[in-house]
Amino acid sequence: MTPLLSIESLSVSYGRNSVALDAISLAVPSGGVVALLGANGAGKTTLIRAATGLLDFHGGAVAAGAVRFEGRPIHRMPPHARVRMGMAQVPEGRLVFKKLSVLDNLMVGASVLPAAKRADSLASIYALFPRLQERSGQAAGWLSGGEQQMLALGRALIGQPRLLLVDELSLGLAPLIVRAIYQQLRSAAERLGTAILVVEQNARLALEFASYAYVLDRGRVALSGPASEVADSKEMRDSYLGVDS
Amino acid sequence: MSEALAASTTRTAPARLGRVLWAALLLAFLAYLPFVLSHRAAFGFRLSNVQLLNLGLSQIDLMLIAMLGALSLNFLTGCAGLISIGHAAFYATGAMTAAITGTLWGWPFPLVLLAAALSGAVTGVLAGLPSLRVRGLYFVLSTLAVHHVVIYVFLQCQLHYFDVSGVPYETAKLGAFALDTPIRWYFFLLAAVALVYWGLGNALRTREGRSMRAMRDHEMAARAAGVDVRVLRLKAFALSSAIASTAGALQAYFMTNISSEAFGLDFAIQFIAMIIIGGLGSLRGSLFGAAIWLLLPSIISGLAPQGGGAMATLVAEHKPQLVQLIFGLMVIGLLIFAPGGMAGLGRSLRVLLFPGARR
Repeated sequence: MTPLLSIESLSVSYGRNSVALDAISLAVPSGGVVALLGANGAGKTTLIRAATGLLDFHGGAVAAGAVRFEGRPIHRMPPHARVRMGMAQVPEGRLVFKKLSVLDNLMVGASVLPAAKRADSLASIYALFPRLQERSGQAAGWLSGGEQQMLALGRALIGQPRLLLVDELSLGLAPLIVRAIYQQLRSAAERLGTAILVVEQNARLALEFASYAYVLDRGRVALSGPASEVADSKEMRDSYLGVDS
Repeated sequence: MSEALAASTTRTAPARLGRVLWAALLLAFLAYLPFVLSHRAAFGFRLSNVQLLNLGLSQIDLMLIAMLGALSLNFLTGCAGLISIGHAAFYATGAMTAAITGTLWGWPFPLVLLAAALSGAVTGVLAGLPSLRVRGLYFVLSTLAVHHVVIYVFLQCQLHYFDVSGVPYETAKLGAFALDTPIRWYFFLLAAVALVYWGLGNALRTREGRSMRAMRDHEMAARAAGVDVRVLRLKAFALSSAIASTAGALQAYFMTNISSEAFGLDFAIQFIAMIIIGGLGSLRGSLFGAAIWLLLPSIISGLAPQGGGAMATLVAEHKPQLVQLIFGLMVIGLLIFAPGGMAGLGRSLRVLLFPGARR
């Protein structure tokens, strides 16, 4: 069976000679939850950018390899076309539209849907994050960090994507809030059948949440396997989880 | 969703009545204003020049034309986040199209306006193309280049078909209705401004308008959310420059004679000043900005002291400079104390006067 997202010996470089990703291969199965772990600068965010098409915005370029969505090569497609195919993204640092209202933020995400479906999809997002409904008229910049993260997730989920790419969801949020958001995300993904590729600094949390994990180290896959195996592996314990966990 | 949307737009009955009253008053004022200004009297009472703020109806007409430019530039810069100093070029495009189709080929006025809008849209798309590659200051420079190219073409066209002194335009006619007096122009332009204001306001509430505001707020996030920024940019440019170009044709017909010098760089920059004074991103603010920019200098000079004395002579001799000085100081003061422009000032006043009211 073809995986939903497959990355095949992908190399990415910023500028002329700095290699950020070195022949990486990775697969996200349909409906699966995959975690992408690694230290700062390992290439996690670059991988997400290569998948979404926002690399050129940051001065990077695919040097070799391919990114496929349901078997179709997409690494030459512009970002908006990839979103229309069913690939949504929650960018690092949330990046909600601060001057737009919560409702307008969500409706920007909903614009990939046909007009008739938007109302239903909005209702399901409000059901998932009731806080967003309470604040629908407020400018997104006035929300708290956790609420902005919910909004960024809602904006991505409202388009009913088949794959959701989540970059550093926990950044700058209290651990309790992060855990709650992950739980909501998991239940939403299970209900919609959305596959998730999640980049996370908090390795323990991500391994709990995901079923499969890849550990990146300096642009290469250092370790991969089912999340429980990765969590139990010696390398993982030594370098990320701490010895006594 | 419809419920959520409805909840945010319905207002209480007294509030709605108040709005209707205000709108009626505004309409009555706008309908009566041209008669006051042309008869120099209100309800049978003669008014002095100072009482009329030293204003004439032709100034109001020019202000209305400038409002079209300010609205379209604010749509582009404030709402879609694209900075342009090419607005004089779009005005010139409209004037040039009107010169060729109207004066040379004798097309009727409504058709000339349509042609101006179309040529403006095409020029706008061409001017917007660099925005797909370059951003910020570099893009501003590319609009400056567009300005120089268009003005050069205008000048060559003017010298080839017409005269050094400028291009003559015939009297504008809407069917049998000739726009031959300031009052007739006034009502025509008022309708045009209302139409553009209403149209742009609606455009911003559509799916694409929302995506445009998202793009202004954060371009990368907009792309991540599935917005095709490139097409959207060009569309914003096409719409904005079509309006500016139509305004250029209107300005040409109103002035009856125009030369390429009328559309210099200062002409382009005045629109930027208008939307900054009015408030970036606020369509209503652009109306105020245009009004302040075009009317305030004249109001200031009307308030200059009359009569004899050394002071009055000094003022009389240096009037233009003094007017510019006071005007400049007022604009600086406005920018310091109301950085959000007139729109921001209005918002903070509303919060001050009605604490508790919805922002």
